Amino acid sequence: MDLLKQLTANEMVAQIISFLLLMALLRIFAWNKLLKLLDDRRERIASEFKKIEDTQASVERMRSGYDRKLADIEAESRAKIQEAIAEGRKVSQEIRESARQEARAILDKAQENIENEVAKAKQELKQKVVELTLGTTEKLIKEKLTEEKDRKLASDFLDELEKVK
Amino acid sequence: MIETNSAQPELKNFVGILAEKLEGTPFAHLLHIYENIIYSLIIVAIISLLAYFASRKSSMIPGRLQLFMEMVVGGLDDFVCGILGPAGKRFTPFIGTLFLYILFMNLFGLIPFLKSSTSSLSTTAALAICVFLYIQYTAIKENGFLGYIDHLMGNPRGIIAFTVFIPVLLLFIHIISELVKPLSLALRLRSNIWAEDMLLAVSAQMGIGGVPLLLFNMLLVILSGIMQAVVFSLLSTVYFALVLPHHEKA
Repeated sequence: MDLLKQLTANEMVAQIISFLLLMALLRIFAWNKLLKLLDDRRERIASEFKKIEDTQASVERMRSGYDRKLADIEAESRAKIQEAIAEGRKVSQEIRESARQEARAILDKAQENIENEVAKAKQELKQKVVELTLGTTEKLIKEKLTEEKDRKLASDFLDELEKVK
Repeated sequence: MIETNSAQPELKNFVGILAEKLEGTPFAHLLHIYENIIYSLIIVAIISLLAYFASRKSSMIPGRLQLFMEMVVGGLDDFVCGILGPAGKRFTPFIGTLFLYILFMNLFGLIPFLKSSTSSLSTTAALAICVFLYIQYTAIKENGFLGYIDHLMGNPRGIIAFTVFIPVLLLFIHIISELVKPLSLALRLRSNIWAEDMLLAVSAQMGIGGVPLLLFNMLLVILSGIMQAVVFSLLSTVYFALVLPHHEKA
């Protein structure tokens, strides 16, 4: 109870006023201003983070889009290369085939020419043999034949034959 | 530096010294009566100036003082909202001011020729009365007068004994407990700070040899001063939490 006697109404009222005064001053200078500032800063940081996240997401989307496009382009280019290779093979096959046919045609023609030339030569040889035979026979008939003349005649005939070949 | 005229040793402070010098004049009498008020007003001025200079050119990129005050204000706001939930933000100015005021008053006694106002029961009782009145006002505002009485009557209600006897008994007990709360707040704070002052005064009486003990006691007094400010604010916040409608708590 001695302790309670220390209580003085004046001091208590003055302390209450002092506390309320401090609260009013701090409400003006600290609580309203600084708490609002802290809230604003918190909101701003949150919105900045949100913006960064949105930008990151958008960049990620763009990158995946570009990756997809790049993959498509690569696939397309691979397909075009394969197509070009196939086309090239086809063209080379055609060229080879056409060259083969042409060569075959040239060979056939050459073969035909050779055959014609051979036939012509044979014909000419045959004609010559006939002519020689007729000529020789004519000479034999005109001259009296001796053994020596026969030999010479045969030899001339053979020479003529050699020339013809 | 130590007064030993009274039964308890007390460190001298400049208002006391001034009152002694002017002994016999009306001004000395006033100084003696309002000694604690003078220190409280000095603290009001210091805290207000700190807040003023911190928030004078407040910007999104804070200076050192603004940063420090933001830490204090933000920390106290988190402390209050951590107990009362987001709805407790409106109590931050009251509880925050209470904490800063008590903390400064507690630690003021450590500075030579100054005194802790909280070593006076009138100071702590005044603060406890503020807490008590604000809690009762909040309780009636939030629950309505009848709702608050109903809240004090407790639960459950039902058959005869529970309908009349126990609720009335609980109402009586709760009213006493509500009245005891400010008393316990005031006595706890005053007694701790008064004991700290005694401890420092006794240590100082030991002379040069007592300096290590004085330094150690000063460390204890700093810790205890901070702790008592936290305890007073924490209990006040909890008392608010008890009278708020339950859906408002986090």
